[in-house]
Amino acid sequence: MQTTRPSDRLAWFVFALVVASTATAQEPRLWLERMNQALTARNYDGVFAHWQDGKVEMLHIVHRNQNGAVTERLASLDGSGREFIRTGNELTCYLPDKRTVIVETQSGEQGPLLAGFPTFDEKSADFYDIRELTRTRLNRRNTRVIAVTPRDEFRYGYRLWIDESTAMPLKTQLCDAHGRIIEQVVFASLTLASRIPDSAFKPEVATDGFQWLRSAPRAAGPEPANASALWSALKLPPGFRMTARSAQIMPGAQDPVAHLVFSDGLASVSVFVETRSEVVPADQQPVAGVANVGSASAFSTVIDGHKVTAVGEVPPATVRFIASSVKRSEAALSAASPGH
Amino acid sequence: MNEELDSQLSAMFDDELPQAECELLALRLSRDRALQARWGRYAAIGAAVRGGDIRLGGMVAYEVSSALASEPLLADARERPMQPTGLTLARWWRPMAGAALAASVAALSILWLQQNSLPASAPLVARSTAPSAAPVEAPASYVVPRALEARAMRMPATELANYVVAHSQFSTPVSRGSLLSALMASESAAVGAPEQAAGAAGDPDHHADDSP
Repeated sequence: MQTTRPSDRLAWFVFALVVASTATAQEPRLWLERMNQALTARNYDGVFAHWQDGKVEMLHIVHRNQNGAVTERLASLDGSGREFIRTGNELTCYLPDKRTVIVETQSGEQGPLLAGFPTFDEKSADFYDIRELTRTRLNRRNTRVIAVTPRDEFRYGYRLWIDESTAMPLKTQLCDAHGRIIEQVVFASLTLASRIPDSAFKPEVATDGFQWLRSAPRAAGPEPANASALWSALKLPPGFRMTARSAQIMPGAQDPVAHLVFSDGLASVSVFVETRSEVVPADQQPVAGVANVGSASAFSTVIDGHKVTAVGEVPPATVRFIASSVKRSEAALSAASPGH
Repeated sequence: MNEELDSQLSAMFDDELPQAECELLALRLSRDRALQARWGRYAAIGAAVRGGDIRLGGMVAYEVSSALASEPLLADARERPMQPTGLTLARWWRPMAGAALAASVAALSILWLQQNSLPASAPLVARSTAPSAAPVEAPASYVVPRALEARAMRMPATELANYVVAHSQFSTPVSRGSLLSALMASESAAVGAPEQAAGAAGDPDHHADDSP
């Protein structure tokens, strides 16, 4: 009988350790994937508190996935009266404080919402440290606490309390690179329902006298698609790469806007480039600067006479970096010019 | 009826409503959307009237979160066990017709307002219709992202909302939820306001809670 040599045993031992450590290292990532799938695929009805920038808001979310068709309603309970409703390809934003309703229609399939959202992969691991901190009880549910810590200041991190049974995030903290909390979401109630009726997705806002802004019907032809091909980013923060590009007509607008998407596997940034340039009087030119929607940042600037706006759930420096790096592709320009 | 409700809400915020009436009001809060909205407004108004900073700074935000998160259910015996996927599952925090939810919201706001009127070193006391919260974990700071640009960005509210909605389709589901929640909840979707300086910048003791 042949006996194993000490060197073989050592090799197997090391191999077993590597396999075990790899599996262990992958498990927090698996929890992230399960969570994102649960948020997309499950039916749920919940009320949660949203803390950000010194404000607490209560919101109500109803989400249904019926054979791949997602219907969703998100409404403020605290007085803004704003509602967001997704029905198939139509996204409707009710802003009663602005007496405005925005209706954005997506073309074709429901696109990235179901299958194309950023996924955390090996490359992403270079820019985030992801680990399981502990297992704990929250609201009498067994949860895994997963920490996603950015390795630089171009992105935010998360602390997630993920329900072990349903993979739903019961509590979510958004943190900066120094670990400071900048946003928090905590569910006060959450029901996973087998069926949710259509009536749960009806708006409660009375829209009499409101301004309605709808996406204009997209003209047939190649021009809208080519609009995005003319633009790219010269430089990107580490880990970010282009993951999607399209052209769309925003509600209330006539001309298409190029839409580029950059992601590092967890965070994503959209860049919108207005395709129509015109001579704008100096006193009406947009001022380059940062705006915020919650913890998300937006930065707008003008490049080659075109307004460029970057929006993403990243620190302000990142949207500024990306927006400022956008340029027109000379190769695409020459290919698009008459004579070719 | 509205005047009576306003009076009760106001008294509840001022810690002047008898316990039995608090419980009844909490029960009603759990069922009445409009009342929930009024409650939210009182939370903001109450903080302003007290002269306190509405901003949830320092210990408060996390302690409120912990109290909310650790709030035990009022009637354990009534909780139905969770069902496997595909069946209707028990509603969490809802031992009796949503009273726990309302009580939790009430606890959140009451704890928040009380903390704003107490010295920073005073212990946080849970006063609500629910049993006392579990001991509070170590606090974490709650900061506003550091400002890079002092200038406001001139962008109409609807234009920014358009971009946010269009972008949200490309975010991860958890980011998307936060993004749309912020759009629904806050006024910051209006013409961009100058960012405010981080309140607790540079304080090495205030970090995200690693312990739940």
